[in-house]
Amino acid sequence: MAFAGPVLLKRIPDDPAKRKLINMDQYIATGGYESLRKAQSMTPDQIIQLVIDSNLRGRGGAGFPCGSKWKFLPKDIHPRYLAVNFDESEPGTFKDRYLTDYDPHILLEGIAIAAYANRISVSYIYIRGEYHLEAKILEKALEEAYAKGFFGQKIPGTDIVHNCYVHRGAGAYICGEETGLLESLEGKRGWPRIKPPFPAIAGAFAKPTIINNVETLACLPYIIEYGADWFKSMGTPSSTGPKLFGVSGLVHKPGVYEEELGIKMSTLIEKYAGGVKGGKYRAAIPGGVSMGVLGTDQYDAELDFDIGKKYNVLGLGTAGVIVMTDKTDLVVMLRNIIRFFAHESCGQCTPCREGTAWMHKMLNRIVAGYGKPRDFDMLMEVGLSMGSMPGTTICGLADGANWAVRTFLQKFPEDFKARIKSDHVQGVTLDAQAAAAV
Amino acid sequence: MAWIVEDRLKQYQPTRSEPYLTAEIRSHIEQKYFPRYPRKQAALLPLFHTIMHTYGYIAPQAIDEAAGFLEISRAEVQDAVTFYEEFRLQESGKYVVNVCRSISCELCGHQAVLDKIREVFGIEPGETTDDNKFTVFEVECLGACEQAPCALVNEDLHGCIKPEALVKHLQALPDHPAEVRH
Repeated sequence: MAFAGPVLLKRIPDDPAKRKLINMDQYIATGGYESLRKAQSMTPDQIIQLVIDSNLRGRGGAGFPCGSKWKFLPKDIHPRYLAVNFDESEPGTFKDRYLTDYDPHILLEGIAIAAYANRISVSYIYIRGEYHLEAKILEKALEEAYAKGFFGQKIPGTDIVHNCYVHRGAGAYICGEETGLLESLEGKRGWPRIKPPFPAIAGAFAKPTIINNVETLACLPYIIEYGADWFKSMGTPSSTGPKLFGVSGLVHKPGVYEEELGIKMSTLIEKYAGGVKGGKYRAAIPGGVSMGVLGTDQYDAELDFDIGKKYNVLGLGTAGVIVMTDKTDLVVMLRNIIRFFAHESCGQCTPCREGTAWMHKMLNRIVAGYGKPRDFDMLMEVGLSMGSMPGTTICGLADGANWAVRTFLQKFPEDFKARIKSDHVQGVTLDAQAAAAV
Repeated sequence: MAWIVEDRLKQYQPTRSEPYLTAEIRSHIEQKYFPRYPRKQAALLPLFHTIMHTYGYIAPQAIDEAAGFLEISRAEVQDAVTFYEEFRLQESGKYVVNVCRSISCELCGHQAVLDKIREVFGIEPGETTDDNKFTVFEVECLGACEQAPCALVNEDLHGCIKPEALVKHLQALPDHPAEVRH
């Protein structure tokens, strides 16, 4: 069976004019919270096994199998926490915001199911500070859910009372990193922690903690309702299920579209997003800026979690596709990306703090026409030296910068070299003049 | 960002006898937020969101008071507060316009928005108008890339911005808003 129509977005109409917030009554009228009831008739182990069987992989960027993550929780240590990662700060990513804008209860039902399966005492929805409207929507939806008894009650079969709260962040990209999120939740600066211990052993307030993305949790009601085989009927063997793709940049109809994993990027752009706007396709970011860039010949790339090895990018990330055309200045785009990382680096690890800022300076120089011939190689060298995968930093923020630089330089070297070469003479002259003036 | 520390001298402000953490704020945090977390420190973000919402900025004295209230050292409060971009230690205009500058917005023309604001109000990112009505900032991704270029005006998201329309909207805002909404 292939993809037969929206799953997560089934309650949200295609026509923007008809979209509106779905409240508790409308959600229940369309079969909402039935899955929670069904889940509560199963044992926690059955649910965890079902999630493992469905091969649900985390939708927040890393694609880690959700069921395995739950299995890491040590037995009999309480309280346990669930931190819902709604710190959606990756440029190009807006799927969770879109889902919550219209259908907040799907997230709450997912949270309730996860809490039942893992015997969670408190769930914190860590939402980024810029999402003022969404925080209010969630507070309102939670009020409705508390009134109906889905939260604030004992989890059936235990003495554990499950509560769910909204916790607002305050504008820091790094708080989307799981341990940075936990630090921020505890009221500290969002500096990622050194692992181990992993959050499943000692997370929030030094207790076992699960951290799941909004979309991952939103998949749970459907897995409970239709089963693991249904979920696996969509996507590829290693990347199962439906996925929200956010398309932005130079397309006619930017927005969030749902498809199965493994869909071709060209289909996504042409069938859903109305095609490329103002030029011919040249490059695209597959899933948020930290994943690198897809080249001109990779227009038909199949977007699944294993995209990395196939197309020389870091991975699928958050599946936020950003489309660029032949008229886009890719050097300026890379500068934008690196400026983002330089700005959002938390400053804890030297290679990241210094490296991102250094690369930003070099790119500024190249864009302004003062690029030196050695800048191309130096950009690559600095880029490759940083990240948790070369093993020089704690978290993956620097890997994002690493892959952005590496893929842009590998796939579009001529753009950079042309800029450095043609303006080099001017650069030398100005430098010489400046030296003479001193 | 986080590790770029502001000049301490600029942060100096005389203390005032009236506390920033009013009884109202304290009881709001005590009743709503303290029960949510096993430690009082975890209520730091909600507390400073409330302070931002009440005063529009964070005075050094408020940091002192928060340290006592949350039962942690002043250094720990300062450490956390200065990390987050939404917590501003300087006063700003009544309306804060955060224009997104990340990749989708740059592709779709965020510069035109900033140019228009400069042309009409005469302010660059980081500056405040003389009548103290507007402050404009360039910020990283607001998570509304499908509506690029976008901006947050206080708490309200504006998407698919036409620079003229945004400026008209800003000019039509009342000079004295009923509440601080940062």
